[in-house]
Amino acid sequence: MAETILKLINLNKTFILGNHKNAKKAQKAIQRLQKKYEAASEKNDKGRIQVEEELLNKAQEHFEKEEFEQSYAVITGKFLKKKRGRGVVVHALNGVSLSIEQGDLVAIMGPSGSGKSTLLNMLGLLDEPTTGQIFIKGKNITAIKRRELPNIRSRELGFVFQSFNLVPTLTALENVMLPLRYAGVNLARRKQMAKEALVQVGLGNRIHHKPNELSGGQQQRVAIARSIVNHPSIIFADELTGELDSKMTIEIMNLVIKLNKAGQTFIIVTHNPEVAKRTKRILFMKDGKIERELSKPKLK
Amino acid sequence: MIEILKNMFRRKTRTLLTIFGITIGIFAFTVMGSMAERINLLVNGGTKYYSDKVTVVDAHSSLAALPTPMNINKAQEIAKVKGVIAVAGTIYTTLSDDIDAVNFGPPPSITAGESKAQKYESFKITFSSGRDLREGDKGKVIVGSDLVKKLRASVGGTVKIKGKDYEVVGIMNKTLTAPDTAVGMDITDAQKILYDSLPAIIKAQVNPNEIVNGFTVYIEPGVDPDKLASVINKQVDGIKATGPKAFQDQVASATGIFNAILFGIALISLLVGGLSIINTMTMSISERIREIGIKKAVGAKTRNIMKEYLTEAGLIGLIGGLIGWGLGALTVMIINNAMENSGNIIFLLTSRISIFAIAFSVILGIIAGIYPAYYAVKVNIVKALREG
Repeated sequence: MAETILKLINLNKTFILGNHKNAKKAQKAIQRLQKKYEAASEKNDKGRIQVEEELLNKAQEHFEKEEFEQSYAVITGKFLKKKRGRGVVVHALNGVSLSIEQGDLVAIMGPSGSGKSTLLNMLGLLDEPTTGQIFIKGKNITAIKRRELPNIRSRELGFVFQSFNLVPTLTALENVMLPLRYAGVNLARRKQMAKEALVQVGLGNRIHHKPNELSGGQQQRVAIARSIVNHPSIIFADELTGELDSKMTIEIMNLVIKLNKAGQTFIIVTHNPEVAKRTKRILFMKDGKIERELSKPKLK
Repeated sequence: MIEILKNMFRRKTRTLLTIFGITIGIFAFTVMGSMAERINLLVNGGTKYYSDKVTVVDAHSSLAALPTPMNINKAQEIAKVKGVIAVAGTIYTTLSDDIDAVNFGPPPSITAGESKAQKYESFKITFSSGRDLREGDKGKVIVGSDLVKKLRASVGGTVKIKGKDYEVVGIMNKTLTAPDTAVGMDITDAQKILYDSLPAIIKAQVNPNEIVNGFTVYIEPGVDPDKLASVINKQVDGIKATGPKAFQDQVASATGIFNAILFGIALISLLVGGLSIINTMTMSISERIREIGIKKAVGAKTRNIMKEYLTEAGLIGLIGGLIGWGLGALTVMIINNAMENSGNIIFLLTSRISIFAIAFSVILGIIAGIYPAYYAVKVNIVKALREG
């Protein structure tokens, strides 16, 4: 059985718009409750765990119903001093839970605003959830200090973005070397690993080209090479074929599947059913929740 | 480092203009600093020279003119004051009748003193070639380092002073203070020059062999020269005795204000340069928001981003500093060379000014880069990738 490398429990992201002082404070208060609950769990203080859990559940319940002012008053009244503002609470995610296993190739689909990218950003530790927990290889990432997140990103995670997001002044090789530089790998090893990654994506002869000297497909290959260079546990791809034509889309998906067959785990956010069809699992999102899931025994 | 250089010159004109701003600041600092350094060392030399002695001139002497002649026998009265161990008659007069309009430091001068008190002198002169004057060295001179070119002096050769040829027996090492612009000669030769310079009416009243225009009073160890000066003033008529404090009050404090003005001008130039770095870096970062987002997404830590932008800002400072220092050093060299013929050296570019100028340019760059770098580390990754 494959190892679970990524697990989410009740992930919740709330965007607060408008005059939102109180709503923001409520959000912070819930985060504080979450930390208290985690601290109690760590100490295995059963009485305290129960109290904190009840408080947290109640706060989250209020918060999800957008009754943040009440949740504030009931749960964290001692922190509340300001009067109610005109904040508008919008749930980008609303209690998402899922597990990703090693070797998975997951597509996340859904209409615009359904929370796909927000979920991806949080799984990739680019954004913080309001509540909920993220576990990578069994480690609770939401409980660790923020300053440790870059280390996890550079060692465990890879990213591919829709608009390639390569540094324009750097060559393909230098772009691919970036995560290794931040992971503290020495220069000679960085070069060697980056060259290998570029060869793997079929760009061994383009290593000294700058992004503006490469086609869209080639740029996305460089981005994929950059995401695999540090041998991450999981790669997050946000609309990785969004700016490519159908021929290039097929090429890039062939590459993704080749890497997946070699054991690389992918989570791909896409609007394109042709891309989703080629994955192993498809999660459909709506209104910040996973509405349904489709698993396929075989790739097409 | 290559990446940082590439980033710097993405917007060549903007970066070059910023570097130019720092260049102007460091150029001003180098030139003004060299001028201040020259004056400071001159004053420091004077402070050191006057620190352990009392100088005496005629009571009617004023600062604006050469000291009034006195009779050398006045030394006997001064020597009687308690605390005095020796008194030497001295002569100080200008080397040339056509004194340069502007002089940074004392004008080229002729100095002479009685050799009997030489052993008490703590301010020692050394020679780059030749030797010091000996007793009875009539018709011979020693020449200060800044006057060598002006007088075309060389040991064994002759120099013309006040229309008369003198044999050069020594060239003094640079002291960075008054002796550099002085010609030393036997007191009897100097007495003749001083006597010849007097109006006929005064000439008739003085004996050329007894004329001096000052005394250097050497004091017993442990005696306060300023207190002794006031005792001498009380006990000896017709003279004005001053201790080291007088020099400090009249010259050193004035140069302090001068220094403050010079450095103030240079610092204002540097402040402008620093602000231009802040502006350039902030604009540069706002154009690179997406890149910062990418770098943070792939694992860049706060210190990586800070280091990158502070290095870039420091490098702008360093390049501007090196160019500014180079231009400043060139200007100092050209002007000093041009002025060397007149024996009037304006600048002194010391290693401490050079090191400080370049180090300061780098530090200024780094300080100016702190705000933009802080702005860079605070970039929200998701927002940067989406909107950058």
